[in-house]
Amino acid sequence: MDIKSLEEKSYFLRQKTLETCLKAKTGHVTSSLSCVEILVSLYYGGFLEINPKDLEDDDRDRFILSKAQASPLLYTILADLGLYDLKELDKFAQKDGIFGVHLQHSVPGVESTAGALGHGLGLAAGIALRAKMDRKLFLTYTLLGDGELYEGSIWESLKFASHNNLNNLVGIIDRNYLCTTDFTENLVELEPLTDKIKAFGWNVIRVNGHCFKSLFEAFDNLRSRPSRKPTMIICDTVKGKGLKVMSYKPLCHGVPPKGEDIEIAKKELNI
Amino acid sequence: MITQRDAFWDEIYELARVDRDIIVISADMGSPSLDKFRRDLPQQFINTGIAEQNSILIASGLAKEGKKVFVYAIASFLTLNCIEKIRVQNGMMNIPINIVGVGSGFSYPDSGPTHHLCEDIAIMRAIPNITTLSISDKHMAIKAARDYKTYKNTQYIRLERQPSGEIFNSHEDVSLTHGVKEVISGKGTLVISNGNLLFKSKEIIEEQSLDFGLCDLYRFPINESALKEIVSKYDKIISLEETFLPAGQGSAILEALNNLGLKIKVKRLGIDPAKGYCYEYGGREAIHEYYGIGKDNLISEFKNSF
Repeated sequence: MDIKSLEEKSYFLRQKTLETCLKAKTGHVTSSLSCVEILVSLYYGGFLEINPKDLEDDDRDRFILSKAQASPLLYTILADLGLYDLKELDKFAQKDGIFGVHLQHSVPGVESTAGALGHGLGLAAGIALRAKMDRKLFLTYTLLGDGELYEGSIWESLKFASHNNLNNLVGIIDRNYLCTTDFTENLVELEPLTDKIKAFGWNVIRVNGHCFKSLFEAFDNLRSRPSRKPTMIICDTVKGKGLKVMSYKPLCHGVPPKGEDIEIAKKELNI
Repeated sequence: MITQRDAFWDEIYELARVDRDIIVISADMGSPSLDKFRRDLPQQFINTGIAEQNSILIASGLAKEGKKVFVYAIASFLTLNCIEKIRVQNGMMNIPINIVGVGSGFSYPDSGPTHHLCEDIAIMRAIPNITTLSISDKHMAIKAARDYKTYKNTQYIRLERQPSGEIFNSHEDVSLTHGVKEVISGKGTLVISNGNLLFKSKEIIEEQSLDFGLCDLYRFPINESALKEIVSKYDKIISLEETFLPAGQGSAILEALNNLGLKIKVKRLGIDPAKGYCYEYGGREAIHEYYGIGKDNLISEFKNSF
């Protein structure tokens, strides 16, 4: 896909994610919108190699969505890839639906149940370690939220992955600077994040997480193992990107727009 | 006398030499028998450092990919520090790993309450897809290792730290799915216990020439039909456990009897939470005395409970 097509796909996914969450009156809209370009790069940009017709292929790349609150976005992508009917999104978090607000491994194309934070990096490191042990060439990607970085287990796993030279492991941080109640740097400072993760022995790349050119440069050639160390791509993003009415504001986590913001949001995304 | 731990790891060593998918993860925990594993099978041994939560996650990642993983640490840290990781990865996702914890009950008597473990049976049995094996002796430890290919879900292999006596004659006599063994056949009253206190119960019954039966209950969830075969022969049960009474062994027995519709009187003996955590030193018996399950107290309880 060229960049224009990827941008169009991103726009469609933003629309569909908002529609899904508005209909269900639940779901993490802003957490999904901040990582649209990241997931589009993986799933449509050719960096995540999976075969939708053979989801158990042992040579497939693995993607562990650790920030599982972005599930409405991932569920939309998997439907768009044909793993199930797009109409399933109408039943998001409903009685007869196949998925809810967080992530479950029973959904086709989903590798792990998640929702509790601080799990994905260690799980992904275990998968990457197995690939090394069995001389498998696939890559394991995991997407973390920046709010998740407050979990101590993340730092246990960071140390482990670099010590074991897991250069087949690609961590991605959706650095949207917002937790639920406040901006990260007001809560407990995370910066200088690049230096911290470098100090834990990782190859760190920092990019604009909404710019396909930057994202492609970051993801490009990781399959050549340019470093002995695992790679962390820190993506600076905006929580709620595409919806000004929900951006740059604390307390916009885990909820779709409400009240008069509903119409404003719909207008912003032309739905 | 060989410890359960060394019997277990000696067996895993032999199995791992043949099956290269066996992986041992240690959170900076050793044992003499693991030294040769590390020396001879370094590609199958991972040390995570003192990072138990990560060790569970790494184990789950490896097991999700088909490896047969044994995670090893002091039991109190490997269970209670990791419970939410275990709940999601091994409970919800049902990724089968083997959680090998040393230090059940007061196995570390002089280390204080941080190293005592009196909550694990209650907590682990509250999580679906986890089987707790409270290992009684070296033969059961060997069996728990040998059966690794049969496990469909996560096993919490709960090991005594100190050398113990023997209940079984051979690993071939142990059925991990059965989960109960009538160690002494008696009449009237049946004492049910597991781990360290099983041996103490046996000693009291034999020394006092009591006409009691004795049952080793070593698997949770309880195999109710197997339990029924034994308890049906008795009209009174004394449950003795080295864990806090709420939701522990005695509670599990009451639930099973209720499910089975058996009306048998049960006296529950164990660790009373009203006594809190124990800072007594001077050995395991001193701690048992603090909690009212010292040998003299137990003799009295056994004789006068009903």
